[in-house]
Amino acid sequence: MIKYMRLEWRKLDRLNVWIELSIYFIIMMFLPTFFINVVLPEYGQSFTQAIELNSYIQMGIVLFGGSLINHVFIEQYKNKTMALSFGYPISRKTLFTAKILFIAAAVFAASIISFILSGLSTYVINLFAPFIEGPLSAADVIQYAGTMLTRSLLITVISFVPLFLFGIWKRAVVPTIVCSIGSMQLPNFSSFLHVHPETVVAVLAVLGAVSLTASILTAEKLGEV
Amino acid sequence: MDQIIKTTGLTKRAKDRVLAENIQLDVYKGEIYGLLGKNGAGKTTIMKMLVGMTTPSSGEIALFGKSFNEHSKSLLRRVGSLIEYPTFYEHLTAMENLQLHCEYLGYYDEQGIKHVLDLVQLKGIENKKVKEFSLGMKQRLGLARAMVAKPELIILDEPTNGLDPIGIKDIRDLILVLNKEYGITFLLSSHILGEMEQVVDRIGVIEQGRLIKQVALEEIRKQHTDYIELLTTDAKRTVYLLEDQLGISNMKLVQGDRIRIYDLTYTQQQISRMLIEHNIGLEEIQKRNSSLEDYFYKLIHGGGSHD
Repeated sequence: MIKYMRLEWRKLDRLNVWIELSIYFIIMMFLPTFFINVVLPEYGQSFTQAIELNSYIQMGIVLFGGSLINHVFIEQYKNKTMALSFGYPISRKTLFTAKILFIAAAVFAASIISFILSGLSTYVINLFAPFIEGPLSAADVIQYAGTMLTRSLLITVISFVPLFLFGIWKRAVVPTIVCSIGSMQLPNFSSFLHVHPETVVAVLAVLGAVSLTASILTAEKLGEV
Repeated sequence: MDQIIKTTGLTKRAKDRVLAENIQLDVYKGEIYGLLGKNGAGKTTIMKMLVGMTTPSSGEIALFGKSFNEHSKSLLRRVGSLIEYPTFYEHLTAMENLQLHCEYLGYYDEQGIKHVLDLVQLKGIENKKVKEFSLGMKQRLGLARAMVAKPELIILDEPTNGLDPIGIKDIRDLILVLNKEYGITFLLSSHILGEMEQVVDRIGVIEQGRLIKQVALEEIRKQHTDYIELLTTDAKRTVYLLEDQLGISNMKLVQGDRIRIYDLTYTQQQISRMLIEHNIGLEEIQKRNSSLEDYFYKLIHGGGSHD
């Protein structure tokens, strides 16, 4: 399976993916500073609150997942290289599983890196121009590491929300990206829905899990070119 | 003789259309088999089912004597194919595309890849990105991909599409060499019949998704040997005279004014003499061989129009 995941990476226009990813990282590095200074100063009352804010900001990586769904599924359907892959001596289920695991690994890794970079940049900027009150404690660092791991897992699963319906069934780029944007933004609008943001995140994660499971289970039927 | 491909009742339906129906195809080891049919007849659909690109609605496929389906795709390690338009990862180089293909097949031989690029005359441009290739170059690269992992069976859909006349001859020669020297079995499709005639051992005629005939080329040649083709100043009157004076009815009017006589009871001299006696200007008369094109034409159009 690792081999097939690696081959999915080799199929991509890697330079473009790196450029796209770099843009995400740069934006994510400065968003916590921007939000605390300009939009939501109440999250600067402590590092604990800043960490909570950052965990929602990093949901932006869900969009990277949508972009990968586009490259790995939709584009390959459209340029017919998906049909080429169906002619290889591996089952469609294995092929789709490899694609999904590749996206999952890439999104998870991107999320971890983004958490590290944004954490470091926010800390360093705060050293020179303080906007978060109080010192950074060991407990804060441990909390950050825990949030980074759990949130990255959730981001990974949520990034699959558009896969089944828009990626494989409809094979439509714009709805996939719109769905990804919706998924990453929905927790921010949870107050309008009168639910806790974490409830929204949990529901999205369930939807993502259902979507990726359905994608693998129906690979032979819906995967038809 | 070993059967390399055997299909039983192979059918593909899409929405309300039947793309291929009850196909009983037999391809034997070491032969070059040609699928003939008009555009949209179902040739590509059959080939796609044979390589797992599309799933049959019903029926069975056996490759190398073993049942082929979604769960036995490992058989495809022994098959090379080029179906429809040659598709590649365009941002990758020719070499990278072939390497990727070989990895899926578990075939690792860098020299083998270079050798096959040399065979299709793409040597020296292996590091060029495929998006910079012409259609002809892509077709050659597609053929290289079909051959690279040393398959026992190669399935090629319209293999000379986009190639210039020299390229067409090169590919034809390459197919013959691979078949004769390496014993590779080929399943080809084409609607360029004259070209097909020069390589295939047997043909299967596809019409509206059905395999209506499988026949050896040798057999067609025996059945449809020679005919006399003539061009006169008055084709209609010539036809009348041939029937009236010589009792010839087995003939066909082609291209509007050429008459093909399949009944060879009379010689060219006898026919010429009769026409001259009846003041018909004879511009051309010669004996020719019936081609696969004629056979195919007659088969598709319901037994010919020799009248």
